[in-house]
Amino acid sequence: MGVRKNAGLLTAAEATTLRQAFGRVLGLDDERGYQYQAGIHGLPLPTSCQHHHPLFLPWHRAYVYLFERALQDQVASVALPWWDWTSAAAHREGMPAPYTVRTADGTPNPLLDAPITVLTAAQRRQLAANGLITSGTRPRTFRDPEVPDELPRAATINSILQAPTFDDFTTRLENVHDAVHVWVGGSMSAVPVAAYDPIFWAHHCMIDRLWYLWQLRHPGAGPPAALLRQALAPFPMTVADTLDIGRLGYSYAVQVVS
Amino acid sequence: MPAAVTLEKATAPGVRIAPLRFTVEDGPFTRADLVFTGVSHSDLSYEVRVFLNNPQADAGTPRDPVGQGYAGRFVVFGHGGCYGDVGHCDIPAPSSDPTDLRLRHPLTPATKIVTITDALRRVLAEQPEGLQSVTLVAVSMAPRRKDRGPTDTLATFDQLELQTYLSATEANAVAGALPVGPA
Repeated sequence: MGVRKNAGLLTAAEATTLRQAFGRVLGLDDERGYQYQAGIHGLPLPTSCQHHHPLFLPWHRAYVYLFERALQDQVASVALPWWDWTSAAAHREGMPAPYTVRTADGTPNPLLDAPITVLTAAQRRQLAANGLITSGTRPRTFRDPEVPDELPRAATINSILQAPTFDDFTTRLENVHDAVHVWVGGSMSAVPVAAYDPIFWAHHCMIDRLWYLWQLRHPGAGPPAALLRQALAPFPMTVADTLDIGRLGYSYAVQVVS
Repeated sequence: MPAAVTLEKATAPGVRIAPLRFTVEDGPFTRADLVFTGVSHSDLSYEVRVFLNNPQADAGTPRDPVGQGYAGRFVVFGHGGCYGDVGHCDIPAPSSDPTDLRLRHPLTPATKIVTITDALRRVLAEQPEGLQSVTLVAVSMAPRRKDRGPTDTLATFDQLELQTYLSATEANAVAGALPVGPA
């Protein structure tokens, strides 16, 4: 059972393991690799992600789960961490340190940014013109974050966790999700290339964790029954398959504040 | 009872004013939502800031609930343009064909909700005329912060409604009814 932890509380060894896993997946040019995995969300077409719909949470749970499995195929002990953007540390410093340091272990930090190698020349030019990736023939992701205290607050999340229905919960949580994407800025601020930024996965672990916490508070509540057999393309999973994270082999660490 | 309104264009960039009205006579509520339907998310990201009874609000107005009537915002994580061939981002009408199992188009307009319960209560408590207008300030969330500012083009939606809700417990209290229980 993999245990996802708070990215701001990773030990040095855990951060090293995470960087190793990202580094190895970045080095693969087939469907096990980062370009394929990140590209599922937006570009290259088709855009497969689901937003502004009750499939938002199930689809992204499947997406993060399968990416984590791809990481574990390279480094078995790795687990994706969550970025708690409501924490005092986040409101002081923004993104957690493992995602912002330029170098680690004497090499460029693979959690800082990533190349995007799978775009057509026309897409590359258009994305660069829109300011979403760096310019040139070898574009990379970049960020331009807002001030830390603009991140969502714990009181907002506590209110959302009290939402009585799944529809109400997912609509309100997705608004916060959107706000964090644009808070990071740069590549994270648009659907087609957001998933290439390594912070994307920590952000979506936080979203997934909040859904898990809501599920604990609202046993039996969930997506509309009519959606349970809906396939989550391109993944070999349905909505029903995503409802129990225990069946997916991962859990979330209890938050410990020392 | 939801009220849909037509927005009026204000003089400042990015600003629209909705003549939404609500007074204490419209009844008690447990929760109040502004519901935006048909919200576009095909272009760059943006946010819409909501101010109650402040028709002078613009992109430079502090988000101050007390002094400025700030009630909240919604944020749209946009697609940033069309990256396919001609027609790729044209949104087809919803299909009524029961044999059409395809998912809806990814750019199908969204619904966004801004819960304004506390802000509306404050207006009703402090201003005898109640809610007279809702000012919407659209600000682009371009990838680079230096490019951000009010926008008249990114933020489009079909309809805005004020929806208020009353919990069953409070409805009973209002009606003076006893809780329903076994005879």
